[in-house]
Amino acid sequence: MSAEEPKNQTPFSTTGRSRKGEPWVWLTAMGLSIGVVMALGLLLLIVVKGTASFWPRRIELMEVKTPQGKEMIAGFITRETERKDSSGALHQEVQIFRGNKDISGDTFRFYDRKDILKASRPKDYLRIERTEYGPAIVKPVALETSSGKVPAKAADFHKKLDEWIDQAADARAQLLVIERKKIGAISREIDALDTALKNQKVDPKVAEKRRAELQAEFDQRQKEAAEIRAKFTGTNLLVQTADGHDASIPVANVMGVFQSNQAGLFQRMGEMWHRIWEFLSDEPREANTEGGVFPAIFGTVVMTLVMSLFVTPFGVIAAIYLREYAKQGMVVRIVRICVNNLAGVPSIVFGVFGLAFFVYFVGAKIDHAFFADQLPTPTYGTPGILWASLTLALLTLPVVIVATEEALSAVPRGVREAALACGASKWQTIQRVVLPASLPGILTGVILAMARGAGEVAPLMLVGVVKFSPTLPIDGVAPFIHPDRKFMHLGFHIFDLGFQSPDAEAAIPVVYATALLLIVVVVTLNLTAILIRNRLKKRFATSSF
Amino acid sequence: MDPLPPPDPKRFEVSRGTLLFDRFMGIAIRLGGISVILAVFGIFYFIGKEVVPLFQSAEVKPVGMMHSDVPPAVMGVDEWGKLPFFYNGGDKLVFIQAKDQSRKEVDLPDLNGGQITAFSYDPVHQRVALGLADGQVGSFAVHYQQTYEDGKLSGVDASVEEEPFFQLEHGDGPVTEISYGDSGTGRIIAAKREGSTGSSVSIVQLGMKRSLLGKGKLSLIGETEVSTELPAPASLVRSSQNGAMVLIACENGEVAYFLADSEGVSKRQTFKPFDTAVPRQINFLFGGVSIIVTGSDGEQSQWSLFRKNGEGERLFGETKTFPNLPQGKVLFAGSQRNRSFLTGAGKHLSIRHSTSGAVRWEGETDLDPVAAVLDAKGENFIVAAADGSAERYSIHDPHPDSSWRAFFGKVWYEGGSEPVYQWQSTGGTDDFEPKLSLIPLIFGSLKGTFYALLFSIPVALLAALFSAAFLPPDIKKVVKPTMEIMSSLPSVVLGFLAGLWLAPILENRVPSVLLMLISIPLTALLTGFVWCRLPIQIRNRFEGGREWLVVLPFLALAAWLSWSLGPVIEKIFFVYKDPATGKEIADFRVWWPHATGARFEQRNSLVLGFMMGFAVIPVIFTIAEDALSNVPKSLTAAASALGANRWQVVWTVMLPVASSGIFSALMIGFGRAVGETMIMVMATGNTPVTQWNIFNGMRTLSANIAVELPEASEGSTHYRTLFLGAVVLFAMTFVMNTIAEVLRQRLRERNKLV
Repeated sequence: MSAEEPKNQTPFSTTGRSRKGEPWVWLTAMGLSIGVVMALGLLLLIVVKGTASFWPRRIELMEVKTPQGKEMIAGFITRETERKDSSGALHQEVQIFRGNKDISGDTFRFYDRKDILKASRPKDYLRIERTEYGPAIVKPVALETSSGKVPAKAADFHKKLDEWIDQAADARAQLLVIERKKIGAISREIDALDTALKNQKVDPKVAEKRRAELQAEFDQRQKEAAEIRAKFTGTNLLVQTADGHDASIPVANVMGVFQSNQAGLFQRMGEMWHRIWEFLSDEPREANTEGGVFPAIFGTVVMTLVMSLFVTPFGVIAAIYLREYAKQGMVVRIVRICVNNLAGVPSIVFGVFGLAFFVYFVGAKIDHAFFADQLPTPTYGTPGILWASLTLALLTLPVVIVATEEALSAVPRGVREAALACGASKWQTIQRVVLPASLPGILTGVILAMARGAGEVAPLMLVGVVKFSPTLPIDGVAPFIHPDRKFMHLGFHIFDLGFQSPDAEAAIPVVYATALLLIVVVVTLNLTAILIRNRLKKRFATSSF
Repeated sequence: MDPLPPPDPKRFEVSRGTLLFDRFMGIAIRLGGISVILAVFGIFYFIGKEVVPLFQSAEVKPVGMMHSDVPPAVMGVDEWGKLPFFYNGGDKLVFIQAKDQSRKEVDLPDLNGGQITAFSYDPVHQRVALGLADGQVGSFAVHYQQTYEDGKLSGVDASVEEEPFFQLEHGDGPVTEISYGDSGTGRIIAAKREGSTGSSVSIVQLGMKRSLLGKGKLSLIGETEVSTELPAPASLVRSSQNGAMVLIACENGEVAYFLADSEGVSKRQTFKPFDTAVPRQINFLFGGVSIIVTGSDGEQSQWSLFRKNGEGERLFGETKTFPNLPQGKVLFAGSQRNRSFLTGAGKHLSIRHSTSGAVRWEGETDLDPVAAVLDAKGENFIVAAADGSAERYSIHDPHPDSSWRAFFGKVWYEGGSEPVYQWQSTGGTDDFEPKLSLIPLIFGSLKGTFYALLFSIPVALLAALFSAAFLPPDIKKVVKPTMEIMSSLPSVVLGFLAGLWLAPILENRVPSVLLMLISIPLTALLTGFVWCRLPIQIRNRFEGGREWLVVLPFLALAAWLSWSLGPVIEKIFFVYKDPATGKEIADFRVWWPHATGARFEQRNSLVLGFMMGFAVIPVIFTIAEDALSNVPKSLTAAASALGANRWQVVWTVMLPVASSGIFSALMIGFGRAVGETMIMVMATGNTPVTQWNIFNGMRTLSANIAVELPEASEGSTHYRTLFLGAVVLFAMTFVMNTIAEVLRQRLRERNKLV
């Protein structure tokens, strides 16, 4: 680089010779440092804490001093905190996760760091993931089957155990199909039959016959399910906890066994991926503190997509009208200010509006018109995913309008004039020249709107989100799309688990993982928008004249 | 060569299809655009529509006349206002069906030939109390039965149940005043006798013994003669419907308050409701904690039980006065749903509400009424004249407890020792008095915003200054998106971190944080001070615009030092000596309440202010940075050319020129902070307090809506009040944003001119 050309074009590219005022410059530098550190620090915190919640930790066997004497505990330290006692002395406190909710009662224990006398990592301790009561951290004793016991020291113990666990997984999948799909379909048909009978749309005799058939099928299915379950009775994993309690875990409930202290780095990474996959694809268990968040991901995605389906056409049409068709004057200026302002109106206000207008007004009207036979139980007159999407569409409408208007106004005048001079009509100009040129800008607006919509929680609390919903808004049951259903949402999941969960401590890893997921979604959307915008700037920078 | 064929003039014409489509699209877009914009404004309309009914007064309509030949001394009515009864002390009770005027007479229980000389009606228990000429006191109850058809009320019938009589032991002569109260487990009768030896007042306590099967049996517990404790002869006795107390008005205008409990009857207080006037009516309001006293000149005031200065026993004190009534016979009928009551004198009637002290409705009746009754649902009232004719009115007053004063003024609630601003929308009992002042919530929103801005404004503005004035473009390309990403962080994540991560950490480290607030800016200034005293040769080796990176390690050092030194500072300055044990406790959490009298909570404004920074800083930063960057180059270059150093250019040129843009950035930051919901819900304790104390929480308008609206029933006063909260929130942000927008546009135009 030549000496004449300074690298940076800011007017103050040298630190200056004058000392006057220089400390103030450094003070402003502090502002920027704090801002950047805050932004990156928070992201880092969430990433670290979120990832850590999936990482399989080593199990430590600790000997702890208690007022009664000594006790043994196996688990790992989940948190280190400072606690002040009544005399003002500071204690370093550790929170230890030991699982075994059904065996030991509490899953977490708090100790003074000083009281941990000894710690070791015995190789034989296992972390057992179960369908009930959360994980167990225990020492295996034997595998009890109908054909006898396999002691834990036996060479084929783990092989046998894994076989049984695989079988249990298959059985659970079969049971899911039978109980939720097949039996569910039967009971839905019985319900439909009842409704038809009540409204005298079906001959009682025919109905009675059909009901008997359904009942027989129902019994048959139940028998099948019982048979599958029967295979596992008497097959238990006998274990011992660190404090010496013997317990037996039914193999049918075991989802997986991990030898935390024997696994190497790759095994642990494999386990981590396994857990991440489970988190993304499974349904929540144990009051949302275990299992995955798939319904919440699904709800968030569907809600955001439906929202963008509404907001994009309306936002773009409004922007085209304001920029291309409306007479530019005082009125349009005021409208523009109002639309801009709407972007600053608190989201909860939109939620309030959504509740009053969509749920209680439009929803009630729809119920009276189309679902009168189900009243007083409301169908659409209650919060649901459609109303949530519409509310968020209104909330994000200004974002799309503003972005589209900006994109439209950035299309150079010369391009339009050229099109018009070639004989294109006004709409042809807009359709073939202006819209294609401003498409990236519009896309930016839509993506920003989606990012805003995906992260918004407050209005959803009023118009459709629930802490747990066994059914998805789109599924295999006719009519397949259920816009009236309530749904789960990642953001609300965070709020609910962190602040309304009965077992908030156990929920914290899931909360961090969910927060990480939500942030990844939102930040990715935002980064995409920023990238598109930056590319756009370059394109117009070269094409303007 | 053949000449070219003449050009076809049609070839320059646009096809009809294109033109038609163009016109169609023009209309479609206009329609679509206008309807979207209208829909957006529809939001304001719709929210406003939900709020308007709150400010409508009651509607009262006459719905029909009835005639009974009984000049009613007492009158009662069923829950639906369909079957009133009229009674004047005879041996018959006359019921009139409002629907068809049909008349039904019910013979009263045999009174052993006694002559009725006093009666009163308790609408809560639908019981008529009777006093006889020979000094017996007793009662009968009216039971209404409803019949339903298809889930709708089809008819109302009534029966009368006799209840035992008791002979008063004290005094002589006929009973002239009687009042009855019922607590469920016991009852109370207050009666005045007028005899040859003067007047006497007895309070009879009755116990209700419940057997395992069937009804309970009334038994006499005791009778207390209280006239000796009165300052003057009694003129009026009134027991509360809940059977807990008796008020006796005396001829000199004073009122004595007696408490009846398991230990007997004891006088607690005498008070004088009016300067000169004598109380002519005392009536208990719904809840049994307040009375309305009406004086001989039409004065009306409300007295409630409360502890003066929050101490001692609950005694009556005046809490509100109502507009005077005209002359005439005073009517009174209290609601059994809320704290409104029907009152009147002469032909004048008015419905008033005790919480806000508001007159809900006023009107005249054609009759000359002597009695009035309000049904239990508060939907109808009946006034009756001395000739037995009566008129029935319907009331439509869905939101009696709402008024400007209830929402925005100080209100003296029942049980409180002074008028306060208070928000407490729901309570555990049926007779709970809703406290719907929005002031604590508005205060909470402003407090949260204040502490958020206190932290965000300096950081954001300093960062914007540095970024606009000193940051090289290639670094700026990275730094600006970073700050923008910060603004996209979902607030629920910030709130969760604030409440569950930051609050527990900071709880023990307040002194460290306070130290940091001082040490970090000082370190930055000091670094600058030292830097510019380095030899110019060293300084020139560094390019400008890297200061924010250079200063980072020093700031980190300062932060770490402050964090570690915090406990030391705590041991020196924030020590609380426990007077009981003499032990010294170095704990800021204990020291703060003792030093300032204000509470210390884990989820406090300090945590909130910091976390809100993540939401507010990027907003202020982006707009302020834009404003500063758009300061015309000619101005800054001129300043530099005239010899200003870089700080002087910033301070004397950039800042003043961009000031309105910066101001608008602050306004928008305010709007963002005031409406923030999830952080407020999760990081504050959500208690509606009105203290600026930084170490406790608040309840903001937005958090309040998010927490309470899902549980409010549609159309209720509570529901509409939450909507009013949304309107207030909306108005605050809308005004701020509009100011900001106008300022920004003006700035843009001014910069164009330069």
